[in-house]
Amino acid sequence: MTPNLAVLEIRAPHWHMPRLWLPLFLLWIPVILLSPLILLVFVGAGIAFRTNPWRAIAVFWQMLCTLPGTDVRVTADGTHVFVKIL
Amino acid sequence: MNENRRQILEMLAAGKITADEAERLLTAIEPGSAPAQGESIGRAGSSSGASGETVGPPKSRSKYLRVLVQADESMSGIKGGTTVNVRVPLQFLRAGVRLASLIPAQAHGQLDEAFTKHGVPITLSQIKPENLEELIDHLDDLTVDVDGNDGKTVKVKVFCE
Repeated sequence: MTPNLAVLEIRAPHWHMPRLWLPLFLLWIPVILLSPLILLVFVGAGIAFRTNPWRAIAVFWQMLCTLPGTDVRVTADGTHVFVKIL
Repeated sequence: MNENRRQILEMLAAGKITADEAERLLTAIEPGSAPAQGESIGRAGSSSGASGETVGPPKSRSKYLRVLVQADESMSGIKGGTTVNVRVPLQFLRAGVRLASLIPAQAHGQLDEAFTKHGVPITLSQIKPENLEELIDHLDDLTVDVDGNDGKTVKVKVFCE
């Protein structure tokens, strides 16, 4: 399944951003609208780099679909950054 | 005790096979033997099922790769130290390995040369998804201590969960 939501939170010692729930599924709207252009870019890049564009699309699709579950937490200098992809 | 093991022992008890043959058969079924009800296969590197002990889940069931980095203030140079906790789905890493297959053949030589120059002597064309599986199977709980100049260390823990 493709990523639907991303959770982002940044906490600094003197500043606290509320946890943001980013609706990644809304990106489908521009992606669908731009899909012919994206396809052309993939085919062009495939020809330029002598790789199979369909294979490239398949690999990028696989990577996109496996992104949910990614969880990154970094704490440095009292600042805490939290990113989670659902 | 699983069914295959029981059958081999019964054949040995009935005198149909010798002790040596039984041992060979038991060794042959050990890596791929299916766990019986209530029994599970051990992790890579631990004893598996021979004594009937129930141990942790096999590595193939792991879903995520977790990387923990803990550096104190003196090492990171940042007040309060630095902690990095990253969880990446293993499927994402598998897809990433497949990405290497998209690299044009003529670029492989240049990349291998650059890797070797920076102290990573690997051949990119030889990296396959199977290698990743092998790595995951053997990645039990890896801890790397990076020593600093003043004797302080940064702890890097890598494990599958």
